[in-house]
Amino acid sequence: MKKHLITLVLLIATVILAKGQSTDPLVSSCLSSAGPGAKYLKDFRVQLGKTADAADFRYKAQMSLWKNTKYRFTMCNSEGSEGKLILSIKDDANKLVLSSYDQKTGKIYPYVDFICNRSGIYQISFDFTGGKQGSGVGVVSMVK
Amino acid sequence: MKGRLFIVITAITIAGFACRNSAGRGEGFIFPEADSVPLGESEKLSAEAIADIAKNISSPVEIANLLQMLDVPFSPEYLASSIDANKQTTAFEKALALGILGADLGYLNMYERTGTSIDILSSIRKLAEGIRVGQYFDFETIKRLSLNKSNLDSLLFLSIDSYTRIDQYLREDNRGQLSALMIIGVWTEAQYLATQVVKRYPDPILKDRIGEQKIILNDLIMLANPYCGKDTEFAALCKDLQKIKEKYRDVRITYTLGEPVSVEKDGGLIIEQTETSVVEMTDEQLSAIIDVTKEIRDRLISNN
Repeated sequence: MKKHLITLVLLIATVILAKGQSTDPLVSSCLSSAGPGAKYLKDFRVQLGKTADAADFRYKAQMSLWKNTKYRFTMCNSEGSEGKLILSIKDDANKLVLSSYDQKTGKIYPYVDFICNRSGIYQISFDFTGGKQGSGVGVVSMVK
Repeated sequence: MKGRLFIVITAITIAGFACRNSAGRGEGFIFPEADSVPLGESEKLSAEAIADIAKNISSPVEIANLLQMLDVPFSPEYLASSIDANKQTTAFEKALALGILGADLGYLNMYERTGTSIDILSSIRKLAEGIRVGQYFDFETIKRLSLNKSNLDSLLFLSIDSYTRIDQYLREDNRGQLSALMIIGVWTEAQYLATQVVKRYPDPILKDRIGEQKIILNDLIMLANPYCGKDTEFAALCKDLQKIKEKYRDVRITYTLGEPVSVEKDGGLIIEQTETSVVEMTDEQLSAIIDVTKEIRDRLISNN
């Protein structure tokens, strides 16, 4: 019985360690779609339920962006996602700097390159089109 | 027989539980019913604010990228090679050294000096295990990618992701002080790298980047503030950060206004910001920042 208990403890430890090291496959595939020259910086895993009030983007985070750097924001969606992941970036004065969603035409850009010329802390916001439920990832990388 | 049956049933239960959890991180996401904030979530707001601050601190990879852009050659003399993971005894020392070596790893990776990063990787593993976060550092895969020299994207991703997960876990595990130390270590080493390089390559773009660190210095201090009274080690570190802040006091950052310009290309969108930030920093101010950074960083790595 003691032998079985040791086996069980080892099994539990293996599962916990494997879980600790698992990498989200969506992040990995999104990273590949960012392009060969893109150097990974960060990712934002976004999972949201549906909302009736789609006026403001719901997932918000902050990130410092630096002058003389070209950033690429790549948006990827999980297979079962109803909405498509969209991004908007505002500066510290709450001024809209970019959006991956063109409200006039309804066009959604899968990636946005941002040539930053003003260093600062920016608000990075994500949501899904039409306030739908969705799951996706936004990968930030640097490009030449 | 009974014992074996018990093992098999338990193993299936554990495996099922583990698979369900990992699916939650991946494709098989179960949508929440509503986008509500669970009870008690409001109490975590300060932790979220801390997480935001942690994300704000610029990645050492960005400094290394800038150096590459400016054609600055790689130099091993900037590395904190004197850090001996075996001689870091307290959790404070281990977390700080973990951050410092993380920045060095970013520098090595960006310059694809991955063969020489194996020693640093071993130290990082030892330090991570020393503060019980070794399971988040995927040493074997990172080592394999480093030796292969073939997949920089994956190497960068795994290295940065390992650090992100260590940081996240430390905060969730109520060891925010170690997370703060790690981040301060990363920043200090990246700042050391930039300030040492600028002495030899006084490029205005690099000077600006050093001056612009004023933007996040307050965040760094805020990250350390809750722990400044914790012990003498933290108190000394907080004083060091204040010393750096003092040297930045008269550095000015101004902004010129402008509207972003957008162009569509290959199905994507390219936005160029016309608004700019301008750093006003004298040579004396820069020199004082270089000196104080070196003094502090050298002391932080001197307990070997």
